[in-house]
Amino acid sequence: MVTLVTLAVEVRDLVKVYSGGVTALNGVNLTVEEGASHAILGPNGAGKTTLIRIVTTQIKPTRGSAKVFGFDVSSQGERVRELIGYVPQEMSLWTDLTGYENALIYAKIYGIESSRRAEVVEEALEFMGLREASRRLVKTYSGGMIRRLEIAIALMSRPRLIILDEPTIGLDPRARMLVWESLLSYKKEYGTTIFFATHYMDEADRYAESISLINRGKIIAEGTPLELKKTYGVDKVVLRVGGDAERAKEVLSGLGFSAVAGNNGEISVVTKEPATALPKIIEGLYSADIKVLEARVVEASLDDVFIKLTGRGISEGEERERVREVLSTRGMIRRGG
Amino acid sequence: MNARTLRAFTSVLAMVEMELRRVWHDPVEIVTRAVQPILWVTVFSVVMAHRVALGVQDYTSFIAPGVVFQSATFIALGYGIMMVFERESGVLKRLLSSPIPRANIVIGRALAGSVRASTQYIIVLASAALVGAKFTDNPLLLTAGYLIVIYVDIGFTAMSILLASVMKTRERFMGIMGAISMPLFFTSNALYPLKIMPKPLQMVALFNPLTYAVDATRGLILYDKLDISMDLLALTIFNVLFLAIAIKELSKIIE
Repeated sequence: MVTLVTLAVEVRDLVKVYSGGVTALNGVNLTVEEGASHAILGPNGAGKTTLIRIVTTQIKPTRGSAKVFGFDVSSQGERVRELIGYVPQEMSLWTDLTGYENALIYAKIYGIESSRRAEVVEEALEFMGLREASRRLVKTYSGGMIRRLEIAIALMSRPRLIILDEPTIGLDPRARMLVWESLLSYKKEYGTTIFFATHYMDEADRYAESISLINRGKIIAEGTPLELKKTYGVDKVVLRVGGDAERAKEVLSGLGFSAVAGNNGEISVVTKEPATALPKIIEGLYSADIKVLEARVVEASLDDVFIKLTGRGISEGEERERVREVLSTRGMIRRGG
Repeated sequence: MNARTLRAFTSVLAMVEMELRRVWHDPVEIVTRAVQPILWVTVFSVVMAHRVALGVQDYTSFIAPGVVFQSATFIALGYGIMMVFERESGVLKRLLSSPIPRANIVIGRALAGSVRASTQYIIVLASAALVGAKFTDNPLLLTAGYLIVIYVDIGFTAMSILLASVMKTRERFMGIMGAISMPLFFTSNALYPLKIMPKPLQMVALFNPLTYAVDATRGLILYDKLDISMDLLALTIFNVLFLAIAIKELSKIIE
């Protein structure tokens, strides 16, 4: 039996060259199935935001095509915009209005009929846990509340696809969790497809069912988080032993394992099958009279995958700078309205 | 009105509502913006009336519509800075990704900007009246004068949105603003009648939309003149032209 899969997003050979000659996307191919939660993961400047801007019809591609539920973003922009909800990376609210007023104005802009407008607004605010704060000016909100309000507004038109650009940038772990709990609960209830860009590895790992890794305007790998880690990453068994670590390394080498001793006295053993390797390692070391004080399995991370594929990780300094930039824009706008 | 037209109409009015709500929450700007025009009508006009022969009997009344437009147009022309801010924030990105046609974003914001600017009409006329200016007592003509202010400033706000799309940065935008606003004021009939201007300046004034705006409002609220069709025609050409270009160029603001 053939099952037809509806594609929420279909991008083919997408190229975007900005007027200054900067190539932001260089032949991107990508598909997102309806109902999925798909992350586009990559470092700052990789092309994530440009891709999202094209899919949300803000800018036109130089070459190639992008479709949302079969509608072309270049020639059928209005149809596309009827199907999507979008939360940009930067703040998209009028901070000198209340949360309720922001939602109400956007409800009118989105064309929600007057007969159900108040109900839709209240429902969205309630869903994101903002009912009580809704009569306060947005400039008094915390970063997490602002993000939840932005998402509430994007959900008011019941979009089939919600597109989020760095949905939790600059938020503390609890605020990030709250944002994602609400999003996933909405997805579960309405079957909405989630397409989000992030540079947080753990966010993509935890909340995406599938991931496209992007680097320098190209998709370099795709799959579920597990597939990516299995294909490109390697798990490790990390040991702390009593006695000479060098001797332990030799024993492990004799058992056919590749072991590396770290500066902290720990030994890392790279293995594709940590569950079967662990008992063999412990047994082998005990047989050689080496005491194992501690042994733990460290699974491959998406960071490992990225390093393996690109030869570099996401620069923490660069990312911190980006977060600071976004926060400063948000702060500035909050003050200045 | 079909559902699509109604939705388009609602989305345009929503942007006006947004602007009015912002003014409601923070009316200080309206007051601070009014200081300069109040000085024009209460100090400048009174002093000038005694010092210079302009061929105008009641200079304070004469200058009031001009000052209304000087002040309102300055606000309208400055509206684009908000678009530059919104470009840097996510508001514009969200609007561009919403189901409303791009044209409605420009029309809605142009109308919103002009409604905000139009508050100067009430403040300036009230201030001028306090120092002895005489306007028509016909409420319909006074209302028509107010609507002219809104109508004209749609065009000026559209011009401002166009500048924001092309200039992109706040600094460049502020620079061009300064280069436009004062020349617009001084090359119009806002401060003096056309007939006392040098010939070359009169020619420039004929291509200045502010001339027609001031003429129409002056006619309505000072002279109970109902025939302002030529002024309206000129202002309509100005509005349509700048709305059309601003709509066409809007995509540049985000690139």
